[in-house]
Amino acid sequence: MRSYISIVGTLVACGLFVILTGCGAGTSTVADVQSTGSTVEVQFRAQTYQPPSNCLPCHQRQYDELHSSVKSGYRNVSPLFNGLEFSSNLLAGGLLRPVYGDSTVVLPDGTPLNSNMFTTPVLTETRQVQAGFCFTCHNAHVERMGEDPSKREVPQLAGLGASFVPELLRPLRDYHMVDANGNQILPSDIGGYPPAGAMPSLGAAGITCDFCHNVQGPDLNRSFQMDGFANMSLKLGESVEKTGPFLQPVAVKGNFHVATNDTSRIAFLRSSALCNACHDVRVPNNNLTAEEHNMNPGGQNVKYYRLENLSTEWQTGPYNSTSNPFGKVIRCQDCHMSLFPFAGTSTYTVGDLNITSPTPAVFPQNYAAVPGVATDNNAPLPKRQVVTHYFAGVDVPLLSPQELQDRLGTTYPDPYEAGNDEYGIPKALATRRQALMDASVRISLSKSDSNASLGTPLEVRLEAIALTGHRFPAGFSQERTAYVNLTVTDDNGFLVYQSGYVVDKPHPQTSEAAPDGNLDDEDLEHVEAVVDPGTHTVPYAAGAGTNGHRNLVFETGPDNGPESRVYSGIPEGLVLFRNELIRVFLPGDTLGRTDASGNQIVVNTAHFEETFSASFANGVDNYRSLPPLEPRTFVYEINLPTQAELAELGVTLKGPLHVHAQVNFEHFPPLFLRFLSAATGPNGPTGHDNHLLNESVIDNYLKNIRNIASTDTTVNLQ
Amino acid sequence: MRIKFAVLAAALLMTVAALAQTTTYTPGDFQKSNPHYPHPNPFYFEGKIDWDKLAITSPSNTWEYMQRGIHNQDDLGDTAAAIQDYQTSLAMNSLTSTPPTCQIVTRATLVNGVLPSTLTPAPCMFTVRLRLAHLLQPTDPDTAITLLKEVLQIDPLRLDVNELIGEVYVQKAKADTDATAQQNDYTQAINYLQAEIALSPVTSVVTAQTGDAANNAHAHWELAEIYDTLGMTTQEKQELNLYLAATQWHSDVYPWRITLAQKRLQTLKARQ
Repeated sequence: MRSYISIVGTLVACGLFVILTGCGAGTSTVADVQSTGSTVEVQFRAQTYQPPSNCLPCHQRQYDELHSSVKSGYRNVSPLFNGLEFSSNLLAGGLLRPVYGDSTVVLPDGTPLNSNMFTTPVLTETRQVQAGFCFTCHNAHVERMGEDPSKREVPQLAGLGASFVPELLRPLRDYHMVDANGNQILPSDIGGYPPAGAMPSLGAAGITCDFCHNVQGPDLNRSFQMDGFANMSLKLGESVEKTGPFLQPVAVKGNFHVATNDTSRIAFLRSSALCNACHDVRVPNNNLTAEEHNMNPGGQNVKYYRLENLSTEWQTGPYNSTSNPFGKVIRCQDCHMSLFPFAGTSTYTVGDLNITSPTPAVFPQNYAAVPGVATDNNAPLPKRQVVTHYFAGVDVPLLSPQELQDRLGTTYPDPYEAGNDEYGIPKALATRRQALMDASVRISLSKSDSNASLGTPLEVRLEAIALTGHRFPAGFSQERTAYVNLTVTDDNGFLVYQSGYVVDKPHPQTSEAAPDGNLDDEDLEHVEAVVDPGTHTVPYAAGAGTNGHRNLVFETGPDNGPESRVYSGIPEGLVLFRNELIRVFLPGDTLGRTDASGNQIVVNTAHFEETFSASFANGVDNYRSLPPLEPRTFVYEINLPTQAELAELGVTLKGPLHVHAQVNFEHFPPLFLRFLSAATGPNGPTGHDNHLLNESVIDNYLKNIRNIASTDTTVNLQ
Repeated sequence: MRIKFAVLAAALLMTVAALAQTTTYTPGDFQKSNPHYPHPNPFYFEGKIDWDKLAITSPSNTWEYMQRGIHNQDDLGDTAAAIQDYQTSLAMNSLTSTPPTCQIVTRATLVNGVLPSTLTPAPCMFTVRLRLAHLLQPTDPDTAITLLKEVLQIDPLRLDVNELIGEVYVQKAKADTDATAQQNDYTQAINYLQAEIALSPVTSVVTAQTGDAANNAHAHWELAEIYDTLGMTTQEKQELNLYLAATQWHSDVYPWRITLAQKRLQTLKARQ
C-alpha cells in the first residue's frame, strides 16, 4: 500500500510540476515526508550571501555565462545606471539612497524612516519606496546585509531633502570596491577611477547565483498589486538551502549547499513569475495619466506610474498562453536562458504575414555541475536538459574592456570577444545582443500603392509585427529606441523621401564643436531637445529649479511622426516604437525655458510635454511600443515633387520608385546620455566632475544596431 | 494493482490536458478578470491605447468613444466610423455647449495646487479635436479650424497646432475664388505659421546648446511658398534662408527641398 501511495504521489507531483513549469525535463521523484511529531522547527544552516566565485568550482559553465551578461557585474558599474541613479538623487535630495534600521530620519508626520524598499514589510509611505529605489532591484542582498553596519557597502546619506549635500554624493559604484583584505576602499576623487589594487566587492557582482537561487517565492506584501510583480517583490533566503531547477539532485560536495525539495519554489524558479518580480518597475509618483496605488492595506498613499512594464506585457500577451505559434506557454527562460536564437527556426503565419524566426524553448543537454568536482566520492552526475545563463538583452557596456576589468576583475570578458561556446553560442555579449534583436521584429510593405504620379501623394503602408514575448521594445521602453528608417528613391538613386534618419551634427552641450563622422551618437529628427542638467547652487534646494531634468530646448523636427500620428492621426513622419514619458505641467508651473524676451515660460493651463527623465515624469504612454504578435500598419502619405519642382531642380525622376524600410535600434537616446554627462559633470549640481559620462564615452561605446529587419518594394511611376 | 495505476495515470493525464486547454489567449481576457490592470485616467490620458485590450463592448463616455474612433481610424482604416465616434466623443466633451461639458484646467481647477483625479465637468481633451480636425479638413476646413483653435484654448503651448491651422488656411486660400478672401486666408496662414515659430524661439541658449540658428523648417518652407505665391520676394528670401538654416543640422524628410531652396534663392538674387 505504501508503495502504491508513493507512486500516486509521485505521479501527482510530476503532473503538477509539468503544469507549473511547462517543462517536464529533469524531474525526479518526490520523497515521502514523514512527520516526526516534533514541535521544534529546524531551519537550514545559515549561509551568508555568496560571491559567485564561490559557485565557480562546481558550476564553471554557469559562472562563465552569467559573468558575460550585463545583469551580473556590468550593470552596477555602468556609467549609465550610475548616472541615472545619481541624477535622480540630485533632483530628489538624495531620497533614493537606502536607509537602514539605525536611521534617525523622521518623516513629516513624526514616524521614523528606518527601512528601505526591500526591508519595509508593507510599503505605506512613498519615502520607503524611494529609499534604495534603484539599489534594491540591482543589489537587494547587499542592501539587506547593510542592516549590519559592519557589512554595509552603500552608506545612508548624512543629509536628505533640504539637508542633502550634493557635493558629497558619490556614484553607487564608488562603494563597490575592496582591497586584498576585503575591506572597502573608495576612489580618492568622488567618482574617480578605481584605486590601484582595487577588486570588485560583493555588490559589484550585481545579480548573481545566490540572488536567484536563494529565492523563496514572491513577496506579495511588497508588491503594489499583491501579485508578486515589480520592484523586487521577492523573498530571499540566506541559508544553505538553494532553489534549483531539479528535484533531488546529487548531493553537493562537503554539503556546501543543499537543493530544496519544495516543488513550489522549484516551479517558481522555472517560471516567468521569478522574472516578473523585478522586470516591472513602478515609480512612486502622483501619476496624472493613470491613477494606481499600492493595494496593500495601508498603502493607498503610495501612488506610482509604470516605468518598465515588461512583465505585465508578457502576462497579458499571447506567449502567456497556448494561443501562439508554438502552441505552448513561452516563458522568459525559453528565450533568455535557452539556445535561442541559435537553435533553428520556425515558420508560421500571423494575419497575412508569413514569419520565419528562431525557435524558442530549445535547451542544451549538459551536466548541471562539473563532474568529478561537484560531488563527494565522485558520485556520477547525469547529463540532462539545462539552461544557459547568458540572459541576452539589448545593452552593450559603455566602458572600455580595460575599465571593465579594473572594476570587475581581471577575468571579466571582452564584450566583443571572438569565438563560440560549446553550444555554438557567440561568446561576445555584443553578438548575442545583435542576434536577439534580429529575432525581434518583422516588417512588410506589400500593401503599399503600386502606382504613383508626380505631384500627388504616394501611400506607403508599412506593416510591423513584434515577435517578442513582451512588447517591442521593452524594459526601459521609454528610452529604448526602435524605429523605422524608410526611404523612397527613384531608379537613379535620387532621394525623394526619408524618415527615421539621423544627421551628423555638432553637440556644443558636450563640447563636440563639429560633426565627428559618427552617426551612433545622433538623435532622430522628430524633436530637437536638450534636457537641462541643472547648476551648482549653495544652499542646495531640491527640485527641477536648479537641478535640471526639464527640457531646456524642445522643438519639433522635420520628421515629427510620433506627434502627428498619435495625437493628430496624420499619416506622416517617423514611426517610432519607443514609449513616452510625459510631464503634465500644471497652471503656474514654469517649463524651464524662456520665451524670445528671455522670460521664463509659465503655464496657464495644463500642458502635456514629452520628458526624457523618468524622475521628472508624472505620466507615461506605454502603448507606443509594438504589441507582440499583433500586426500594426503605419501609413506614410508622401508628397511626390511636382513636375515644376523637378524642372526647377533640373531632375527627371526615373521609375520605378524604390521603397526601402528597415528597423533600427538605439539602446539609449544620445540626448539623454548628454544630459547625464552634463548633470554629473563639473558644471552640474555637484559642482565637480563625477567621472561617469562624457562625449568621448558616448562616441566610443554607444553602439546602435541597424537593419534588424528590412523589406523593399517598387512603385511604378506614371 | 496495475489496473488501478493505469486508471489513475490516465485520469491524471486527462486533468493535465484539460488544464492546458483552458489557457487559450484572447486579447482583453486578462484585463477583464484582473481589476488591478492599469486603466488610464480617462481624462488625463491623451493619445492612443490598445483598444482591443480594453475589453469594452460599447463605449460609454467621451474617452472611450475617442479610443474606439482611433481604433477605427488607425487599425481598421474606417474613416467614416472614426469621424462618427469622434463627433460623439466631442459632444460629451464640448466647450461650446450650454453649459460646457468640459472645462479647461486652470489655477482655479487645482485643489491645493494638485490636479484632482476627477473634475466636473471633465477636462477638455485635445486628441479628439486634433484627430477630427484632420479628418474633416479636406471637406470642412472651417470646422477643422474651429477644432484646432479649441486645442489652443486647452493648451496654448502645444506645438504643431498653430502650424496645422496655418496649413488649413493655405488650403482654403488655394480654393478661394474671391481675391479678398484669398488674401485674408493667406494672411491668417502667415499669422499662424509665425505663431508656431514663436513658440520655439531660437534664443541664445538654444544656439549655444544645439548650434542651431533656426528651427521649424517646415513652417519656414510653408511661409516661403506663401510669399512666393503672393510675390513678396523679400519675405520669401528671408524664409528660404531660415529654412536652410533650420535644415543645416536636421535635413528634411524631403531633402530635395534643400536644393530647391538654394536654387530659388539664386534665382531671386539673379532677378535683383
